[in-house]
Amino acid sequence: MTQLLEHPAKSSTAVGLDVDRVDARDKLAGRAEYTGDLHPPSMLYGAVLRSQFAHAEIESIDTSGAEATDGVIAVLTGDDLTDLDPYYGHALRDRPIIAIDKVRFVGEPIAVVAAKSQTIADAALSAIDVSYRVLPNAATLDRALAPGAPLVHEGPVRPGLAHGLGKLPEREGNICYRYGFSFGDVDAAFARAAVVVDDEYVFPAVYQYSMETHTTIAHHRGREITVWSSCQHPFLVRQEISELFEVPLDDVRVIVPYLGGGFGSKSYTKMEPLTVAISRKAGLPVRIMNRVDESMVTTRRHNMKCRMRTAASAEGQLLGRVVEMWLDTGAYADNGPRVTATAGDAAPGPYRWEAVDVKAQCVYTNTSPAGSYRAFGATHLQWIGESQVDEVARRLGLDRVEIRRANLLARGGQVRPGAKGLDADLVGDVDKVAAALDWSSPRPLHRGVGLAVGLLAAGAHPVSMATVRLGADGGVSVLVGTTELGQGARTVMGQIAAEVLGLPPSRVVVRGTDTSYTPYDRSTGASRSTTVAGKAVEEAAAQVLEELIETAEATLGVARDELVVSEGRISGGGAAMTYEELIERRFGLKGGELIGHGHVGPRGGSGGFADGPVFWEVCVGGAEVEVDPETGIVTVLSVSTVADVGKAINPLLVRRQDEGAVMQGLGNALFEEMRFSDDGLLLNDTLLDYRIPSFEDLPASMSCTIVENEDGPGPFGAKGCGEGALAALPAAIVNALADAGVQMTELPLTPERVWEKIHSQHEIPKNDSKEERYQ
Amino acid sequence: MKLPPFEVHRPSSLYDASRLLRDLGGDGVPINGGTELLLAMKLGLAQYDHLVDLKRVPELRGVRPISTSVSIGAGMTHRELEGSPVIAEAVGEMPRMLAEVANVRVRSVGTIGGNLCFADPHSDPATFLSAVEATLVLGDGSTSRRVPVDQFFLGAYETVLEHGELLVEVTVPAVPVGTGIAHMRMKVHERPAVTVAAKVTLERDTIVRARLVVGSVCGAPVLPQAIDKLIGASRGTWSERVREVAAASAAAVAPVADAEGSSRYKQALVEVFVRRALDAALANASGFTR
Ligand SMILES: Cc1cc2nc3c(=O)[nH]c(=O)nc-3n(C[C@H](O)[C@H](O)[C@H](O)COP(=O)(O)OP(=O)(O)OC[C@H]3O[C@@H](n4cnc5c(N)ncnc54)[C@H](O)[C@@H]3O)c2cc1C
Repeated sequence: MTQLLEHPAKSSTAVGLDVDRVDARDKLAGRAEYTGDLHPPSMLYGAVLRSQFAHAEIESIDTSGAEATDGVIAVLTGDDLTDLDPYYGHALRDRPIIAIDKVRFVGEPIAVVAAKSQTIADAALSAIDVSYRVLPNAATLDRALAPGAPLVHEGPVRPGLAHGLGKLPEREGNICYRYGFSFGDVDAAFARAAVVVDDEYVFPAVYQYSMETHTTIAHHRGREITVWSSCQHPFLVRQEISELFEVPLDDVRVIVPYLGGGFGSKSYTKMEPLTVAISRKAGLPVRIMNRVDESMVTTRRHNMKCRMRTAASAEGQLLGRVVEMWLDTGAYADNGPRVTATAGDAAPGPYRWEAVDVKAQCVYTNTSPAGSYRAFGATHLQWIGESQVDEVARRLGLDRVEIRRANLLARGGQVRPGAKGLDADLVGDVDKVAAALDWSSPRPLHRGVGLAVGLLAAGAHPVSMATVRLGADGGVSVLVGTTELGQGARTVMGQIAAEVLGLPPSRVVVRGTDTSYTPYDRSTGASRSTTVAGKAVEEAAAQVLEELIETAEATLGVARDELVVSEGRISGGGAAMTYEELIERRFGLKGGELIGHGHVGPRGGSGGFADGPVFWEVCVGGAEVEVDPETGIVTVLSVSTVADVGKAINPLLVRRQDEGAVMQGLGNALFEEMRFSDDGLLLNDTLLDYRIPSFEDLPASMSCTIVENEDGPGPFGAKGCGEGALAALPAAIVNALADAGVQMTELPLTPERVWEKIHSQHEIPKNDSKEERYQ
Repeated sequence: MKLPPFEVHRPSSLYDASRLLRDLGGDGVPINGGTELLLAMKLGLAQYDHLVDLKRVPELRGVRPISTSVSIGAGMTHRELEGSPVIAEAVGEMPRMLAEVANVRVRSVGTIGGNLCFADPHSDPATFLSAVEATLVLGDGSTSRRVPVDQFFLGAYETVLEHGELLVEVTVPAVPVGTGIAHMRMKVHERPAVTVAAKVTLERDTIVRARLVVGSVCGAPVLPQAIDKLIGASRGTWSERVREVAAASAAAVAPVADAEGSSRYKQALVEVFVRRALDAALANASGFTR
């Protein structure tokens, strides 16, 4: 068994090849099914009435007008849930399924109408009368943190069922979670410093903007609940629905078709409880399909303010770093505590510090809830930390690559006390980015180059199961709970199984998740699927192969070490048998199947999963930019990233992942910002004024270098990818802009913000003044 | 955010379209590409029970050269005009200006007439056409009148069009030798934050005519007086005068603050783009005199 897992001298049939995406044809032809394409019999259409106030008591809700409307079957309000404990939240159980007595953000669901058509449901919303008593709100971080601030939540803290954060502290005011760590003597490190960089930074609220909005169909049949949903973590949704509605785990069935993107917006539980609740009342399946403006208030990325100080010696040795940050998680915690912890982990950056002190606070405000978004935490902190490293180098007259080479952690080095040591060659990665950018060549005025390196605690909780079935016709199907959301998961899982079984990928099918049949997988996120779920698939496929080999040994009468597995057949002793023939021999008919199971857990599976995180995802990239000092427009001329993936199961998909992350990185760096009014109303909830990158914004040159050191804990030495470039890009762009003369401390780098920075203190730089800086 | 129900009418002549609109009164509105109107209706900013579709009205179609000008049907899409050899020949800068409008999806259905009649303050064609002294033909199938573009706009989303009156065509004078035109713009989101168009005419290396339009920063395009300072300037002095005009123009406009930028920022942009537009127009004009 162990020997087979090492794949002795066998040429590759699938792994390492640029296999086309298995879903591409169906998606391009419009054949691929998404939740919104499904239509269970008697399905009703839901419409959600949402709060207009950021903080208010609900004095009364009159639904009689809506209920009397022709075609309306049911109207749900908080009063319908008195027989349940209607609070959920995987981190903190703080969120009611629907507003109960109080609303905490503009857009919070207050009532749901289920009707025979969407038009009827939408129209009936205007027949619902709500009377509010408006309360003072804490719609901004500053207001939420001020002494005597209005409290967003008042009751005791209740841990959610999947927070994974150890013992949760009590809430203090609006701070719902604190994370921090420190080591070394910070005062001594700063006392010794020749240079201290100290500044305050602002990161905006950003929307994940997947093409498909949150869409859920639920059917509460009394004893059983079926949910079709655009969700990334079907098994966690199942668990929360089971607890909320007091139905055994096995009687909750979550089915996940294709997703039109997620980027974290569909992680954990989103619209599912509300949809199940209205179906429970209506007694029929109900669909809730968000509009874009509704999805924008369903989840978002945390906005943040941060103060950071970095100390260095005169020789450029990085000595100490002190970081304090406040992340705005909105009215409900969602994944805020985990985002806060990951931001804390990313704060020191991958350097050999003498002393570090990190304090991270997750803060409730009266705005829409914030949760996961690709490379969370790392994206928040890397641009800050890396801009301070650049500033140290600048003040000391050192090259910005050299200072990193001199201070970066080596393989095995301590990233954070108690965590897995570094599992990558960061200096090698940085050198590759620098080379791709032509680092030391001189650049004209108003141009700059920057690079950034960081680490992201990746892999989430390493629990995944998989089943591989080899049918009587020699075809393979893989059952694995990874959600295909455009990243190519089904393609890669198929490649892994194909490789182990020595088959071409075209012989393998991977379908969507149905929790009734698909084995457990914790989640699709944190760059974990190829590494963790992929490992389970590898093991499951190896079990099938083992059974084939046992059958071949018996049939061919040849010892196993003389058998050769290749191209869907096993040969030895001058004879060869196809898998079909082996199965037929084994069961005595043209039928039956071989089934293998694989599982990965913190203690089971491979030892690589024992210490957290599963792996450190390397976030490294560089950019060259040009700034027009008269308008503040920043143009990204070229970017380069390094995908340090251990082993690229599918190099094409690795590149596509980096390209997508680069585009989102451009958005986070240059354009994207959710603007809330003073009263917590989202002001830019359409693409006309919420600017995302488009093809026009593609840099003229993009390069992605794949590094394969086979140092990952996943199958074939793989580790995840796809998030790192997003964290690295804003940092690289901020640093490149600083190199061009403009040091920014607030994102996004909108033309006006950059222009303000330039013109607040200085004249437009003259041709000879590359030295002149706008600090 | 959802389109309310409505009825669509498809008249096949200008006369029928106008009569239909008069009959429908306030319940009816013309529609062409719908890129503005349907969006406004989705956002709940406008509501009409009847849409009178102009796409089958033949009078609104086509591009024709007429002696020293080009006549452009109001129902032509940006995309159709971008590729028109007649326009490229007569007003070389115009296709370049059109190619920067919105994105290819909007340009493929959005029309020049829809752009002007909607009178969104953030408009490239409104600015450009004012600078090149285009004239609009407004009509109802039986009568018609001609209005210079810079007198068409009364303010943001307001024009001189009477109910039932339609924009039929846009007449753009061909650019004579010795005249240079330039259009500059910058966008932050989808629509331009600032647009500046300039037209200058040189005679023996001296500026004899100059016209400047600043768009997208106020309710309607603005024609700064300061441009007159350029008249009489010659090759040796115009670069300095351009800077003076730019500064004076910026000081004279009072930009409206909105999601595209603060008033202060837009004022600074006006100065930058007036300078760049005039420099470019002068370069174009010089190119022809050589
Ligand atoms: C995403 C986006 C980006 C954009 N970016 C830009 C940009 O960068 N620069 C720019 O200048 N513009 C921009 N626009 C505006 C764009 O140019 C216009 O939307 C388009 O040209 C309008 O044409 P339409 O045929 O679709 O108008 P419609 O929506 O059909 O009509 C608009 C209005 O004009 C009226 N109307 C239409 N035709 C006539 C007529 N012949 N006579 C009388 N009334 C009429 C209609 O009743 C309606 O009120 C953008 C628009 C969008 C949606």
